[in-house]
This record gives sequence, C-alpha cells and structure tokens, in this order.
Amino acid sequence: MTRAKPMFLTALAASLVAGSAIASAASPAETIAARQANFKKMGGAMKALKDELGGGADKAKLMAAARTLAATARLQGALFPAGTGPSSGVKTDALPAIWTQKPTFDAAAGKLVAEADKLAGIAGSGNTAAVLAQFKVVGGTCAACHRQFRAEE
Amino acid sequence: MSTDAETVKVWDPFVRVFHWSLVTLFFIAWWSGENHDMDRHRQAGYAIFALVVFRIFWGFAGGRTARFAQFLKGPGAIAAYLKTHDPEAPSDGHNPLGGWSVVALLGVVLTITLAGLFAVDVDGIESGPLADWVSFDQGRMASEWHESVFKAALAVIGLHVLAIGYYQVLNAQNLIGPMITGKRDRAKGEVTPDVKWSPVAALAGIAVVAALTWAVMNGFKFGG
Repeated sequence: MTRAKPMFLTALAASLVAGSAIASAASPAETIAARQANFKKMGGAMKALKDELGGGADKAKLMAAARTLAATARLQGALFPAGTGPSSGVKTDALPAIWTQKPTFDAAAGKLVAEADKLAGIAGSGNTAAVLAQFKVVGGTCAACHRQFRAEE
Repeated sequence: MSTDAETVKVWDPFVRVFHWSLVTLFFIAWWSGENHDMDRHRQAGYAIFALVVFRIFWGFAGGRTARFAQFLKGPGAIAAYLKTHDPEAPSDGHNPLGGWSVVALLGVVLTITLAGLFAVDVDGIESGPLADWVSFDQGRMASEWHESVFKAALAVIGLHVLAIGYYQVLNAQNLIGPMITGKRDRAKGEVTPDVKWSPVAALAGIAVVAALTWAVMNGFKFGG
C-alpha cells in the first residue's frame, strides 16, 4: 500500500497539471514549452535508466526514473492541442502529421504510457534482464513515434 | 640506404596507414551517424579515437617526418616559405603550412571524438561510452559540440583536399602517391635520407593506445 501511494500521488499531480493546462487555456508557446520540458525530463529519465542498467542497477534509482517516465508520459497526450504545431510560429519539431493523423498519434502516445507503466511495474524487481528488455521496448516506442511525428534534428 | 637512389622514403608506414584508415573511418562514422546506425557509429568512433591518439604519440616517437618538432614551424618560417619557396620543389615531409594543417585536422577530429564519448541523444537512449559520467544536459551539450565541430572538420578537410589539388594539378607535385607508397622521386642532387622508424616505439604505442581505447569503450569501469 505504501508503495502504491507515491505512484498515485504522481498520477494525481499529473492529471492536475494536465487539467490546469487546458483549463487556463495556455498559449501555444506555453503549451509547447511545457511539453518540451516534459520530453526533456523523459530523456533524462531514459538516460538514468540506461546508466543504471549499464552498471550498478540500483533498484531505487531504476524505480524512480521509471516512475518519472511513466508519470511524465501520461501528461503529454493533452499537450498537443490543435494550433500548437509549426503553424503557431513557435519553434517546434512537432510535425503537422500529428494533427492530420491524430488517431495514430494518440495511439502512439497511449502505447508509450502503457509500456512505461509496464517498465515502472518491474523496475524494482531486481530482474535486470527483464528491465533492460522492457527499457528497449520503451526506447523503441519513443523512436517509432519520433520517426513519424518529429522533425529531424 | 644510398642517397643516390631515384626515390626517397618520406612517409613511414604508420603515417600512411593512419592517414587512409582515418579517411575510411571518417566516412563510415559520417554515414552511420546520418543513418542512425549507432552501434557502427560507436565502433568507428573507437577506431578513430585509437588512430588519433596513436598519431599524437607517433608525433613524438615516429619517423622523422611524422614528428611535430620536425614539421611545426613559426610564423617566420611560414612567411619565408610562402614568399620564396618554389611550389614545384618537394618538402621533406609536411611543408611549413601543411604542418599546421595536420594539427588543425587532428584537433577537429580529436574534439569530435572526445565530445562523442560523452554525447547523449535527445531521447536519452543512445549515448557515448562515457556518458554516464555526465548529466543529461551535459551529454546534450557534448552532442551539440559533436555536431558543430563535425561541420568545422568538413571545412578543414575541404581546405586540405584543395591544397593537395593545388600542388597536384597546378604544380605537378604528386602528393597522393607518396602517401600511398611512402616514396617520392628525389630531386636532382637531393640528399634527403630515407625516413626510419622504431618498431619498438611503434609496438609500445600500439599497446598503450589499445589499452586506453579498451578502457574508454568500457567507460572506465573495470570488474563489476
């Protein structure tokens, strides 16, 4: 029970943040900045996971990073409202395809949440091979969506 | 070796193998990087790291024309070379201008390689072998340097190729052939001796560079 609590709290905080972003009708610039900050946070969490899986494999650190990843992934779906693409004039790598193929994009975003949840579920198991395998699945999910919906650097 | 032979050995084998291996690996690294083939990209990077570190060592311990002390000249010598040197007369190894081009080339390639060791991609998934010693933000910065110095390297390489072309085409000086065979034609009455090098120094250098490269590939984590 004590274990589930922080997860529940992050999820709650997450939905509050996501909710308030919509409720306060954030400007495209604010929305883009928010989702970019989240992506950066997820990048950092992926790196933390990779570092631990490459040596050390500290359960607490793996769990913390996986939870950050899952909680942050959950926020992203709501941060792509219409009008926050390149046409907004704000610098973004988000491709117009996100909005022309919204169902595909939403499915990909949902897949990330599902896979990140799975990772968070086993991150503390001590089964490094299984965590590594799921880490790669999550990484593949990131990459697949980016290939389709993000501009090349 | 007699000095009245028609050709003179100007480049030791390590300089030549270094040169053409670097050319090949640079293109492999470029190609694999563009195509996100990161395993191959890292392998090419490790090989380039080993080559460049060996070349720096060889700049102190190699054959005559491989040594920094032999080919790095001050501004006076460069000015004199530009003013009075006959561009059709061969230099003993690098000319005073070309010597600094070597330093520039080694500098950019080494910088790209070192930045790559710490680089992290935007998704935090792919990274260099030393990236877990730095934060995500620092790794991203290393990645940006990796990219921008690569562009600088293309400019320096372009200049290098243009200079070779200038001697090759406009001044009838074959510089590419000697970098392959090690030998060039002797000018009339020229008494430049053949380049000599020490196999012991070469072996010692290879051993140290191999150990260092292995450590880098493993992120300086031993045992465990």
